[in-house]
Amino acid sequence: MAARHLVIGAGTAGLNCIRTIREEDGGASEIVLVAAERPYSRMVLPYYLDRSIAESHVFTATAATLAAWKVKTHIGRKAASLNPQANALTLDDGTTLEYDDCLIATGSRAVKAPVPGADSPGVHSFWTLEQARAVIAGIAPGSHVVMVGAGFIAFTILNSILSLGARLTIVEIAPRILPRMVDDKGAALVDAWLKKHGVKILTGVTLVKIDDARGKKRLRLKKGGDLLADLVVMATGIKPNLEWLQGSGIRINHGILVDDHLRSSVPNLYAAGDVAEGKDGVTGAPVVHAIEPTAMEHGRVVGANMAGRDVAYRGSLNMNIVEVCGLDVASFGAWDRPEAEAFTALRSDRSAYRKLCWTGDRLTGAVIIGRAADVWTTNDVGMLKGLVQTGGRLGAWKEHLRRNPFDVKPAFIASRTTARLLPDTTLGRPSRAPEFPTTVTR
Amino acid sequence: MKVLKIVPEKCTGCLRCELACSYMQTGAFQPAKSVIRVSPYEGHTSYAPYTCTQCAEGWCMTACPVGAITITPAGAKDVVDDRCVGCKLCTIACPYGTIFYDHDTRKAFKCDLCGGAPACAEACPTAAIVYEETTTADWLADFAVERSARLLASGAR
Ligand SMILES: Cc1cc2nc3c(=O)[nH]c(=O)nc-3n(C[C@H](O)[C@H](O)[C@H](O)COP(=O)(O)OP(=O)(O)OC[C@H]3O[C@@H](n4cnc5c(N)ncnc54)[C@H](O)[C@@H]3O)c2cc1C
Ligand code: SF4
Ligand code: SF4
Repeated sequence: MAARHLVIGAGTAGLNCIRTIREEDGGASEIVLVAAERPYSRMVLPYYLDRSIAESHVFTATAATLAAWKVKTHIGRKAASLNPQANALTLDDGTTLEYDDCLIATGSRAVKAPVPGADSPGVHSFWTLEQARAVIAGIAPGSHVVMVGAGFIAFTILNSILSLGARLTIVEIAPRILPRMVDDKGAALVDAWLKKHGVKILTGVTLVKIDDARGKKRLRLKKGGDLLADLVVMATGIKPNLEWLQGSGIRINHGILVDDHLRSSVPNLYAAGDVAEGKDGVTGAPVVHAIEPTAMEHGRVVGANMAGRDVAYRGSLNMNIVEVCGLDVASFGAWDRPEAEAFTALRSDRSAYRKLCWTGDRLTGAVIIGRAADVWTTNDVGMLKGLVQTGGRLGAWKEHLRRNPFDVKPAFIASRTTARLLPDTTLGRPSRAPEFPTTVTR
Repeated sequence: MKVLKIVPEKCTGCLRCELACSYMQTGAFQPAKSVIRVSPYEGHTSYAPYTCTQCAEGWCMTACPVGAITITPAGAKDVVDDRCVGCKLCTIACPYGTIFYDHDTRKAFKCDLCGGAPACAEACPTAAIVYEETTTADWLADFAVERSARLLASGAR
């Protein structure tokens, strides 16, 4: 009997898993998909917000695609409880589904700061398509938008809000912006850049409550100084969707603990993406990255393993990039270990900043900030990723990079990084192009 | 598959490949938009062109959240402009640094092997870039190791 695969969640990890199963088995197995929402990519919602793409562009699979992939779907339904002993999942409408193996890929959700008024109308999260629609409906040219939180997700929608002609104020409780993406020096540069571009940033302020005043939202701040907003976006953090697994007996720390095959403590249950706590390829430690590339790779590795391959995962690389008002901000790997040796360089005239972090003569993390118009005149960003990913010993090139942190290319090439990278594939075979439905019949 | 084989010893640094590439890719001669890039070695006494290897993993392609990177009949990973939203994820995913972001079009761009007739190889007068049936390799490392020995020694102090 063909295997019965159950995939819970139709985000990045779930869809990559399904596509990979079909790449491997051409349609031989049974796949059942349970997902609270239609398949779409959250991370392109900022481009829907600024109207540079139509809503239809965010979807990663249509009903027709799923049918071509021979996937049975329960879309709009939520997983409610899992019984690993019986290999059975119960949905929120009481339906029970049995499986031979199962992927848990329910992602995360946005969490609002716990202040009175956070759930009142006009105070939004920006994480799901539905939430994006509400924010779009609420912003007009000239609106004053207050964003609570100055983390990565807040920054991914910053350009979009400004391009809609809104005024933007950012309120952050921490003493600085982008705490988990760049170091203090980098944050100071970005802060100055944004202020120069008309964004108001208030750091180190505590929001006490939100109420209504004169038809607007009023944000009361601890040190005084109320803010009046037409719309409030709370980008105050995310939380993995794991509550429904209570009582299942699966080992959970920050996320579901998985081995190098992305298996949980129950061997026929896999976890991937924002809900999975898997190996970080740089530090070797278990971690929840909650980023797109990790969800994608997790999903592909699970798909291959579900299809009967034996694929061990090298571990994921923490990486982010965001552009704000023409300034690119990127970081890779372990850029924030205080004990690590680090070279930094600032070119204030060009608003460019570099931080290179080392373990011995291996590059293990990097921060790159520069004007978007400048950054892509070099190949540095990708090459730094390659150096961190391969973790090769750089020998005398380390000294070269200490003196010339902006001269990455000769170090990359002469340290034979290309030769190290060429044989590296995630699934032990060349990747296929994503337009898969046409090749599914075999 | 035919690949771009680079023979750095033959490169004179004339930059015709960059001109030809940018003209083919954008319709204008603007080396800043070339996806093959020539770097100097040994204080501009030697040069080497560098571009996408069309690697087996296709990190750029697998990273794209909207499937905007595909494989052409020539075997090149290529950005489908209508699909690309300009999120730059591919540019940090490619560990070779060979996919770029165009600030003017707000799209990613990379080597697409010009549909199977690469303009750079045609433009190169010394055959430092040849398009041939072979396995792709690390074409530049030996050359770079040799040409950078002095640079490294001078810095060692
Ligand atoms: C605005 C925004 C911008 C972002 N930008 C970036 C970026 O630039 N770079 C980056 O790396 N990452 C970015 N991210 C994060 C990235 O989108 C996530 O890390 C990624 O989507 C995680 O994939 P996933 O498959 O784990 O979860 P998701 O894509 O969140 O998918 C989860 C799926 O599970 C479903 N689900 C949830 N609960 C249940 C349940 N109980 N039963 C059934 N189904 C359920 C959901 O409906 C959904 O289909 C961004 C996110 C947002 C919101
Ligand atoms: S751009 Fe980079 S990741 Fe994409 S095919 Fe070329 S070398 Fe591979
Ligand atoms: S920039 Fe374009 S091609 Fe690159 S990952 Fe984003 S959408 Fe895909």
